Amino acid sequence: MSGPVLEVRGLRKSFAGVRAVDGAAFSVRAGSITGLIGPNGSGKSTAVDCISGFQRADAGQVLLDGADLRGLTPQRIARRGLTRTFQDVRVYEGYDLLQNLLVVAQPFVGVGWGGELLRSAGYRRARVAAEARARELIELVGLTRLVEAPAAVLSYGQKKLLAFAGAMMSAPRLVVLDEPVAGVNPTRINEVAEIVRRANAGGTAFLIIEHNVEFITGLCEHVVVLDRGAKLAEGPPHQVHQDPRVLEAYLGVEAVA
Amino acid sequence: MRLALPVALVLLVALPWLTASTYIMGIAVSGVLMTVAAAALNLVYGFAGLLSFAAIGFWGVGAYCAAITVMDWGGSFWSGVALAGLVNGVLALAIGVPMLRTRRHAFVVVSITFALLCALVSRDWTAVTRGPMGIPGLPAPSAFGYVFAGSARFWFVALGFSVLALALLHALGTSRIGLVLKAIKQNEPLAQSQGISPLPYKLLAFVVGAVVTGMAGGVMAFHLGVVDPLIFDFYYMQTFLIIVIIGGAGSFWGVLAAGLAMVVLPEALRASNDLRMVIYGGVLVVAMLAMPRGVAGWLEDRRVAVLRAKLR
Repeated sequence: MSGPVLEVRGLRKSFAGVRAVDGAAFSVRAGSITGLIGPNGSGKSTAVDCISGFQRADAGQVLLDGADLRGLTPQRIARRGLTRTFQDVRVYEGYDLLQNLLVVAQPFVGVGWGGELLRSAGYRRARVAAEARARELIELVGLTRLVEAPAAVLSYGQKKLLAFAGAMMSAPRLVVLDEPVAGVNPTRINEVAEIVRRANAGGTAFLIIEHNVEFITGLCEHVVVLDRGAKLAEGPPHQVHQDPRVLEAYLGVEAVA
Repeated sequence: MRLALPVALVLLVALPWLTASTYIMGIAVSGVLMTVAAAALNLVYGFAGLLSFAAIGFWGVGAYCAAITVMDWGGSFWSGVALAGLVNGVLALAIGVPMLRTRRHAFVVVSITFALLCALVSRDWTAVTRGPMGIPGLPAPSAFGYVFAGSARFWFVALGFSVLALALLHALGTSRIGLVLKAIKQNEPLAQSQGISPLPYKLLAFVVGAVVTGMAGGVMAFHLGVVDPLIFDFYYMQTFLIIVIIGGAGSFWGVLAAGLAMVVLPEALRASNDLRMVIYGGVLVVAMLAMPRGVAGWLEDRRVAVLRAKLR
């Protein structure tokens, strides 16, 4: 067993007195695919925003490979190796697929503005390596034939795949996927699962928020259930889905009784 | 297409031999200088997404810096324009850091406030600016004994400066810096999630924009021969903004073409002197209704529509 890549301890976040996240604690094993599920309003998205630096937690710790991420900006956290996608799918609509991926900072770290402006040797090397990596990822998500098309022409599902490639571009330690298959054509969901599996084989761990039970069950080795901002249960997906507390949280008391 | 740029450059250099009219040469000089200021605004607004009215402030501050260097400190025109760039760079850095922490409308309001303050200072700080009287009698610049007197000769100074400034802006816009700036404009949180710090990039665009605008203003002062608080007139700001919006915010060549059109159009309409500005306004309104994202934006939208149709 390898140690956790991500550890969340006692995470709290309130908005105007409403406790969105209330003491959530869980971890993601290095190289694993872990699911984060829970009913609407259970605090999943807020937890992800706190982990990735887009919201500042009121209390608690977020450790990436043992180092505290507290107070870091999203860009610093991304550079440390934790990237994410967004629930409202985000891509650079005016850029083609290659440009979308070449924005990512990591391949150009150390080049500097002067090198970028004057197209220095160091910049050109970084550019070649970045483009090779970008083409690989576009191949991985199956969008090669659209590589020069502006992202604006992509379908909703294709945009999600492009956003996924963007999150993978920096070869991160952990990627948080916020609803990767919500709104995606059901016939394509297995393809998405296969893409995540292949990316995972490269060593990147995934934390996946998703409502699609089949997707989570088929993909995750471990599932964490949040309810009212705190961890309700965790374990292998089949076991979690039979847990009476989980059924109650999702369906209400009567359904269980 | 490959020949378009060299041909255009040769024609521009030859302009004083193509026309004997000092009037036309005067229009051409202010035209290229305002196009440079518009291209600088395009970096700030079109690339970085910052609708900054501070441009008119930098334009005027640059004009005063250059004029004061020559008239009060005995410097040359060239050192005056260089100082205009330096002072504007420092000024933009100083006000940019707090300004860029404001968002959207707040940023626009703060930038307007800066521009208004500049105009007030130029009017009331009479010890330095000589107030509403202004600083008249700016001499023509000279180099190696050659005096660039009159619009036809001053044209080479203005054109030389403009080509250098536009080359810098083009190099910046087509570099990775330009790519990242437009990414931040399109979706700032996404850029952050990809390891990009927006603030240094925005500050860079703001400062480079201010330096270029200020130097253009400095050159403009010597074209006008006088600098007074009217250099902060909204007419200039409006011209920069119209050029950027009609050309297409974010498009270097679109803005350049629009700069040319905005200079030629009002003059071409002189045939009917009474209706000139009315027709000009009408053309602008129609252009905006038909192409809200400017000429370059309209072309891009057509391209995307064609691709979409192909993919269906």
